[in-house]
Amino acid sequence: MENHQPLLEQLMTTHAGPGFEGAVRDVIVPHLRSYAQAVQVDVMGNVVAQVAGCGEGRRPRVLLAAHMDEIALVVARIEAGGFLRVVQTGGFDPRTLVGQEVVVHARGGDLLAVVGSKPPHLTAPEERGKAAPLSDLYLDLAMPESAVRERVRIGDRVTLSRDVYLLRNRRLAGKSLDNRASIAILLETLHRLQQLIHQADVYAVATVQEEVGLRGAQTVGFAVQPDVAIAIDVTFGAFPGQAADESFALDAGPAISFGPNLHRKVFQRLVDVAERHRIPYQIELSQTPVGADANAFQVAGPGLAAALVGIPIRYMHTSVETGSYADIEQCARLLAHYIAELDMAQVEDLSCY
Amino acid sequence: MKEWIVRLAAEIAPSGSEGRITSVLLDAVQDIADETHMDALGNAIATKRGEGPHVMIAAHMDEPGVMVIDIDDDGFLRVIPTGGLTASEAAFRQVAFTNGTVGLVCLEDGEKRPEQFEQLFVDIGAKHRQEAESRAFIGLGGVLGTGVADIGNGRLLGRALDNRVGCAIALHAFRELAQLGRYVSVVFTAQNAPGARAAQAAAFALEPDLAIVVDGVPASDVPGGKRTALKLGAGPAFKVMDAGTVAPLSVKQLIEDAADALGLTLQYEVWPGGRSDTGAIQLTREGILAAGISYPVHTAGAAEALVDLADVEATLRLLVAAVQTFGQ
Amino acid sequence: MLLKTLSEAFGPTGFEDDVRNVIRGELDGRVDEMNTDVLGNLIAVKGAKKPGPKVMLDAHMDEVGLMIVQICDGGAESGLLKFRALGGIDPRVLVSKPVLIGPDRIPGVIGAKPVHLQAPEERQKPIPMDKLYIDIGAKDAADAKAVVKPGDAAVFATRYAEFGDRAAKGKSFDDRVGCALLVEAMQTEVPYPLYGAFTVQEEIGLRGARAAAYQIQPDIAIALEGTVCFDVVGAPSHGQSTVFGKGPALTVQDAQTIADRRFAEFMWETAKRHGIPVQWRRVKGGSNDFGAIHRVGKGIVGGSISVPVRYIHAPTQVVSLDDVENAGRLLRAVLQEIAEGSFTL
Ligand SMILES: [Zn+2]
Ligand SMILES: [Zn+2]
Repeated sequence: MENHQPLLEQLMTTHAGPGFEGAVRDVIVPHLRSYAQAVQVDVMGNVVAQVAGCGEGRRPRVLLAAHMDEIALVVARIEAGGFLRVVQTGGFDPRTLVGQEVVVHARGGDLLAVVGSKPPHLTAPEERGKAAPLSDLYLDLAMPESAVRERVRIGDRVTLSRDVYLLRNRRLAGKSLDNRASIAILLETLHRLQQLIHQADVYAVATVQEEVGLRGAQTVGFAVQPDVAIAIDVTFGAFPGQAADESFALDAGPAISFGPNLHRKVFQRLVDVAERHRIPYQIELSQTPVGADANAFQVAGPGLAAALVGIPIRYMHTSVETGSYADIEQCARLLAHYIAELDMAQVEDLSCY
Repeated sequence: MKEWIVRLAAEIAPSGSEGRITSVLLDAVQDIADETHMDALGNAIATKRGEGPHVMIAAHMDEPGVMVIDIDDDGFLRVIPTGGLTASEAAFRQVAFTNGTVGLVCLEDGEKRPEQFEQLFVDIGAKHRQEAESRAFIGLGGVLGTGVADIGNGRLLGRALDNRVGCAIALHAFRELAQLGRYVSVVFTAQNAPGARAAQAAAFALEPDLAIVVDGVPASDVPGGKRTALKLGAGPAFKVMDAGTVAPLSVKQLIEDAADALGLTLQYEVWPGGRSDTGAIQLTREGILAAGISYPVHTAGAAEALVDLADVEATLRLLVAAVQTFGQ
Repeated sequence: MLLKTLSEAFGPTGFEDDVRNVIRGELDGRVDEMNTDVLGNLIAVKGAKKPGPKVMLDAHMDEVGLMIVQICDGGAESGLLKFRALGGIDPRVLVSKPVLIGPDRIPGVIGAKPVHLQAPEERQKPIPMDKLYIDIGAKDAADAKAVVKPGDAAVFATRYAEFGDRAAKGKSFDDRVGCALLVEAMQTEVPYPLYGAFTVQEEIGLRGARAAAYQIQPDIAIALEGTVCFDVVGAPSHGQSTVFGKGPALTVQDAQTIADRRFAEFMWETAKRHGIPVQWRRVKGGSNDFGAIHRVGKGIVGGSISVPVRYIHAPTQVVSLDDVENAGRLLRAVLQEIAEGSFTL
């Protein structure tokens, strides 16, 4: 197999919000099976794939996690006329939803809907200057109310509908590149690891419910209690008007995060590995606990050595998230080499301050 | 059931001061439980060993209230909220403290509208600090609102119905399931109102195979009602999501199957602003299968609530049926 | 003096090394063992095998600080440093303060446009953090980059001094006061297992304490803290939180904890019995490590003993040395009464 880009494109058009990750899980599991000795799904729905390392005795245990959920909506009310009101599971900017096509995952099957808004002709000038809150938006199924009530129930999940667009320079755009890009990194890493000798036992995990509060990471971190827990998640691509320390160039390699809630020795090691293998990288600074699974990992159970890497994407949490497959490959190289070089001496050093 | 609800609602149990209701609840299950105890955070726990997977039934027993935080030279008290009570809800109402002292929540002279607790003081009629200190102390908990009224047509209204109703349901379900020989625990949780702070400790200790949480949820069949799509009197609701949990589909299926078997119509709760114990339990240890079953109320999370007894009965039947369906 | 050394040590949240080393030096040979965990918590142990309740004492080593995020290049900004807060800092306290940056303690000052050049409406408003810079005297970006890099942490360059009537001023009394009390407490003899957890990352969410409590799984835990004190001109009784010089404060409720009433009363009664001044902390806002500790595992009994600190989280904090001393006396009395079985679990 050349690379996992076709799989990434498939994942980006598959639908899986917090708490209903099944469809994406079903796509991922066979691919994980091709690399792992054992693949399990836990109570929360996290997928844990184990790839054993070489060597006798105690081996390093490293957890690599990418969340497989995407930001989604939930049907909260059915209004007169059959229009749906929705609430968030994950952080949409309601302004990006106006005019958006979405999929309502109903019991009898998926239904297409359009997020409705008042046409400009009917909008008062002062209204046009204001952004509509989510509570003012509605989903239009173009069906009579009775048909809607028959098919749709309160609590049904809604996700964005968007094809993948292949842009120039191996860049691709679509929905849920956050965080399917990192699922691709996970698989690309396992692929590269097959060509390397590694002592570490690898737990490759696709986590659930990240977008509603790092929930899958909390429980899987507790369950596995690895020596090192690395979250793979996207970060902000450079774009005009953003602060310099919150902007990372596309095609300039993965961002490696540094800050109080990440283990500084794991960070340093990742940087060293990148330097040695001439892998381009960028450094992301955080002052507060990061908004990614690594945050939950650090305080799971007795506390874990946590790290965060990921590729920059533009237009995060919209249906046109844009990133570069070249960055995905560089991130996978970084992780594969990091894992291949991880040994027990390093693990023991993690508790030395 | 109604008698139990009224009896439990009579207890004053602001978050963190659940002591008295704890004994009432544990006394009520003592005869049938193998063991009962109170844990470090104030949860009241009873277990009956038996057949099948271990199911934990949970209902919070605390209610939002206030706590004395300062006593001044003139004998006036200052209070802070425990739980989500706002200053405007507390102002101009009677407060009943756990030690029997009653007072009136007043707004400082010159303030127009009660917006913050700093503007409020409690008058217990004391003439000076010394007298106040003989009847109140810093840390004393209290609640607002009046006792339960039976307003006819099967509906009750009053203080702490959210979640003494849940406690009554959990109590009955536990007794029923214990009698049926099931392996079941009931946890009357403490400190839910300030943000589900205690339920996870009980779940951590019990490690159940399934947890079902019973709590009130706002029905929105009221003027301007938008918080949920639920109706009072239309039956129990399955919690699809709230601020602390998203239900796994397997759990949803379990509850739906139980409802179908009973021929009971299920409502669906989507309440982004709510925070029950469900999420706290779900995220304990390696993750615990957790379901929320809610009975609709008018004004959830406030001092007083209005409930429909038909919903209460149906919630109990659904809960028992769900436990029996589980693991079969 | 230990409080002076600890107060002047460099320990912004996530960068507690200097403080940890001071404490390790103090306790070396005086406890049975000392370990660091993967987060950087330092855990000192005495009598792990003894019978009786396992008691955990907690003090956090970290302080609020700053992180350099950018070295400006080009234009008038060239060589100036942009920064963000590590922990809760009110931007209003920052302007015109000296700081020390990074492992080499490079001095710098936080500057802003002179008041003369500010428009009248600008003068009315606090200067937001992204309009402030640290000036280390660099000629340009290259000059600055020779000694500072993005990611370096910084602290206020405040010196410890005693002044007034039995008072001390310095930085980071929150929570170096607690660290000093804990160092002292670990040297007392008790007939039960005693764990001293010097924790990291309290200021960004009580993170170190949570992991430490999970590892220790104590029966009783007590957090030692610095807490808000605002008993100054114009503050009514209910707005003070604590009164300076009136002794250590006990908590009934804060933002993260509703106190275990039995344990709070036990500590209060202990203070009274031993003739130690004590007061209730009279405010809901704020929190300490016990807020995380008590929710760990099956739930943990305990509370906190706090020393009133005026201007907490500001560059210069003020404590009463009597309060510090009385907090130490109360802690010793509580440990002794636990040994005597005055508190039953
Ligand atoms: Zn994400
Ligand atoms: Zn502190």
